[in-house]
Amino acid sequence: MGKEECKTMLDALNKVTACYRHLVIALGSTSDSQNLREELKRTRKKAQELAVANRTKLTSLLKDKTISKEDRAEYERLWVLFSSSMDLLEVDMKRSLEIGQDFPLKVPTRHLIQTGMTGSTTTVAARAMSVQNMKYEADSNIDTADLRDLQTEITQVTQMVEEMEMKVQVAPWAVEAKQEAGAELKSNMSVGNSSVGVISMCEEEPKEEEGGGGSGGSSLAPVCAVFVFLVIIMVAAVLGYLVINMS
Amino acid sequence: MTIRNPIGDHGQRYRPRMACLKKAEKVLLEMQDPKSGVKSQPQRLVITTIPHAIAGEDIVAWLEERFQIDAQEARAFGSMLVSLGYIYPLIHHKRLVIKPDASLYRFQTPYFWPTQQLPVEDTDYAIYLAKRNIRKKGILELHEQEQYNRIHKWMNHKWDFIVMQAKEQYRAAKERKKPDRVVFECQERAYWVVHRPPPGTVSSMDYGLERRVDPNSVETKTPDFYERIMIFTQQSIMRPRVKSSVALGALVKYCTTYQSHDPFLSTVLPSNPWLTDDVTLWTLNMLTAEIPTRMRVEKWTFSFGELLADPRGRDDFRLFLKKEFSSENLAFWEGCEDLKWGTASTMKEKAEHIYKTFLARGAPRWINIDGKTREITVMALRHPHRYVLDAAQSHIYMLMKKDKYGRYIKSPVFKDMSKRAIDPVEQNFTDAQLEHNARNRRPCPSPIILQKQEEERKAKLAASAPVDITQLCRFTTPVPHLAVYSGIIDSPSATASPSLPFLTHTPACPSPISVALDSTSASERRVEAGEGEREGNPETRPLSGGNVSKSRMTLSLRRLLKRGCTPSTMFASLSPKCHSAAGTSSRIQPISPDQPSQAPPRRFGNFFQIRVDIPPECRIYPIESEDEDEENRSASRAGVEAKEIICPWESLTPQNGTG
Repeated sequence: MGKEECKTMLDALNKVTACYRHLVIALGSTSDSQNLREELKRTRKKAQELAVANRTKLTSLLKDKTISKEDRAEYERLWVLFSSSMDLLEVDMKRSLEIGQDFPLKVPTRHLIQTGMTGSTTTVAARAMSVQNMKYEADSNIDTADLRDLQTEITQVTQMVEEMEMKVQVAPWAVEAKQEAGAELKSNMSVGNSSVGVISMCEEEPKEEEGGGGSGGSSLAPVCAVFVFLVIIMVAAVLGYLVINMS
Repeated sequence: MTIRNPIGDHGQRYRPRMACLKKAEKVLLEMQDPKSGVKSQPQRLVITTIPHAIAGEDIVAWLEERFQIDAQEARAFGSMLVSLGYIYPLIHHKRLVIKPDASLYRFQTPYFWPTQQLPVEDTDYAIYLAKRNIRKKGILELHEQEQYNRIHKWMNHKWDFIVMQAKEQYRAAKERKKPDRVVFECQERAYWVVHRPPPGTVSSMDYGLERRVDPNSVETKTPDFYERIMIFTQQSIMRPRVKSSVALGALVKYCTTYQSHDPFLSTVLPSNPWLTDDVTLWTLNMLTAEIPTRMRVEKWTFSFGELLADPRGRDDFRLFLKKEFSSENLAFWEGCEDLKWGTASTMKEKAEHIYKTFLARGAPRWINIDGKTREITVMALRHPHRYVLDAAQSHIYMLMKKDKYGRYIKSPVFKDMSKRAIDPVEQNFTDAQLEHNARNRRPCPSPIILQKQEEERKAKLAASAPVDITQLCRFTTPVPHLAVYSGIIDSPSATASPSLPFLTHTPACPSPISVALDSTSASERRVEAGEGEREGNPETRPLSGGNVSKSRMTLSLRRLLKRGCTPSTMFASLSPKCHSAAGTSSRIQPISPDQPSQAPPRRFGNFFQIRVDIPPECRIYPIESEDEDEENRSASRAGVEAKEIICPWESLTPQNGTG
């Protein structure tokens, strides 16, 4: 159904936007490199494709006058999601243009900011492109050549956003969110467990980090303990029954 | 500094400039140099080591070296870099200062550098808070919690997006290696400490209103850009310039005049309420005080503006003008002020009202402005806006200033006021009395009450209709005992056509027209108003409500004029008291208020020798053809002031044939 397609596409766009942001954050720092520029370029292209696809789909859905009220409300909600993603993308692209211009890679004395980040961003990009491994095949002057493309793409995106605002009559403030405050805590607890308690963030937080880690681990432990307890009780009950039956 | 833009900063909109940002970025880049930059050391955490940490003392030493400044200045510079967000502390991340010891700092990634082009969005902050919520399992700091709730309330429509994006970003962050993840979280936290400072933190990024244009960007030279520069330079040329000697002279004069009146520079006479807690000064100088203080009265002599600005002074001036029978000027000026400063919804009515009362031909309180100004104003009144009466207002203001103000200062009214003015004695309080005053402090009167009082005053003023001579043309002089009921138009509906047509005569000799008949009913007035007759175009008549009688009157009048008879009989019918007046000479006679106008109908042409312009159609609004040239009509008009006058050829009872 249209809605499900839309949702999956929006999820994909969301993921790509988040990854793009991570990549742009690494730009200009010591984890910047040729590869990063290429990753940025590919992620951007993917984001644009997704954006265009989303837009056509959503506009066609919204233009359809025969849909019911709830459907329309749902589509409007999806539309707000989409336009917020586009806003984020636009900002990130502008920033990446700026930073890319300020920190060219192929200069003799290059001064990348020593931020402490030294690792590569391959995995992030792989997540964005939904591939297992990234293959890099760009040529060496990607940092300057890409910037021109980037500029045109930024204008395209800006135009698209403006068009969207003009043509689609959706009042964003009228949309009601489905999630309530604190909804991010509900799902993906598995994600939360593995991240916690391994390392201290900065020196002033070691205690609370480890405390958090301990409590994170221990949230699993009581569950396991309860489970084990129940199993033992069950076994005991069965044995007792057998004993009684036997005797 | 390069002289890139010799014309200068012609954008007030560029402020606030944070030109320091670009400069700080350059400094940051220099600091990165592996050879000549700041030495970095690795930061050892529990399990991992993260490189590129710098010690505070190293930063300060480097700054001292690079800019050749002393340690204190280097510390201040370093703190500025931290408070702007270019360097962040690893310990005590909320205190944005540089500590010149071994405490560690790190450089911020360029994405998180402060910019002015792209504003810091609440959406991003919400995503950050949501991510933090996930990481900390719902335990946020108090101010973060408050912000979270606030954003949840006000940006509810984006909340789904925020949650989704937060989760995605969280997952994407986990794709990176551990040390990088740590660094990233520190960076993000530092960024938000700068841009959404926790209570008690002062961030340098609090620069006031956003501007749309980056002050540091190089502007592309589009035709638009050049057009802006051209307009700016043209306006600079057109600005009036004053010689500095003149300007300085004016400044000196101002200072010497006002020095004794300035409560900061000289002692205030009863006592300064802020110092002695005694409010005599304020009670004496209240706006509605009956008798003003001497200083206040002295201020009125400084300039006309001062007199008008002080309500008490304005009252006094109004009194004076009433005696001089020219209070319509002040009333008009006040009406214009009211229009300028009033609410937009009442503007149209006010403009109409002012026109009807002051500007229209035959208006009851007609002001004397020159023809050109009048034309312009009347034209502009077709589309009234706030400043439509500006030209006329300035004219009247100048008139009052040049003529009336001088007379006022010399008048007995003012002299009397000066004599009566209170001269407060200085109060010398002892300490005990000061304490007593401090204990007895009372709150000031509530603004609501003050406003009500003000409104009552205004209503009273409006209700007590000032009597003044109206309809004096240029050639008349005010006759003191001639009191004319000017009829303050409090109820504009009562006067169906207050713009009264006038018939002018060849000015053999001007005469005051008026008759004050307080008891003239509205209908009577309307009847009188209806005579606006002129030979020539009787066709176009206004047909406002209740004007049937008027048209009848005009028809009869026309007939009369054509016949050219002297309706002495009409006089007789009209003026029960003074029959004999019908045959009196055409000279001006002072007319007492309760007598009808007695100008003899010797010749229709010289009946009322007033040269006033009237439109052939007595319209209120200058909607249709305003461009009448007066010259053509002056020959054959007889001026009449309708409301006040009982026109000689009009009778109260339609006895001269209505049909």
